[in-house]
Amino acid sequence: MSGERGGGRGRGKKDDKEKGKGDRPRGGGFFRRRRVCKFCADKIDYINYKDVRLLSPFIPERGKIQPRRISGTCAKHQRALQTAISRARQLALIPYVTD
Amino acid sequence: MSTNRQYELVYIVSPDASEQAVADLHTQIEQIVQRFNGTFDKTENWGRRKLAYEIGHHREGTYVVETITGSGELMKEIDRRLRVIDTVIRHLTVRIDDDLRVTERLRSERKSTQARRRTARGLPPEPLPSERRGDRDDMDSDDLGLEVEGVR
Repeated sequence: MSGERGGGRGRGKKDDKEKGKGDRPRGGGFFRRRRVCKFCADKIDYINYKDVRLLSPFIPERGKIQPRRISGTCAKHQRALQTAISRARQLALIPYVTD
Repeated sequence: MSTNRQYELVYIVSPDASEQAVADLHTQIEQIVQRFNGTFDKTENWGRRKLAYEIGHHREGTYVVETITGSGELMKEIDRRLRVIDTVIRHLTVRIDDDLRVTERLRSERKSTQARRRTARGLPPEPLPSERRGDRDDMDSDDLGLEVEGVR
């Protein structure tokens, strides 16, 4: 997995050089940047706190909530996601911290 | 004067409790709901699940989700009761009627906009199943393209 990631990253940098336009910032983070909000794209109006599979992509290994600038979630849905995650944490569906 | 609202109650029963104990707890809550003139809409037992972290030395728990329509006093009473019962290691009440209303409104709005736009373009208001599949295929190939680009 890490190998694949590294490969993607390297490629991203190269891509930037080749294009030289910088139509969208690439590289820098570990994750490929998502351009659109997942919840807007999938038309999810209510972020269900019981749906762990829906929330888990927004919780990296550390257990913290992924910031908007990385996940690409829109402000409205990030807010909803925040409450959903804290509820899921209270119910021990998602860890508060993992070390 | 109390207005009726819809709530969702989730509680985690300790793994030591028997099935019978879980059922008893359910009937207890049902009785409280009846006493306060609320209605029981739905109940869902998720069964035993691993907890994401330890709660009082427990690593697992039985999850039960109940949807209840009733007053705030009813939920307050249930909350108080669950706090006292030792077999319930965690519980959470969430008011859902507002969220459901908003979701419903957004969905119908989206549907009507879609229908309006489609009729303006001279298409039938509902997208055909074949069209929908075409959309998804497009998205998939787009994703794939990115993936391939990343690997090369």
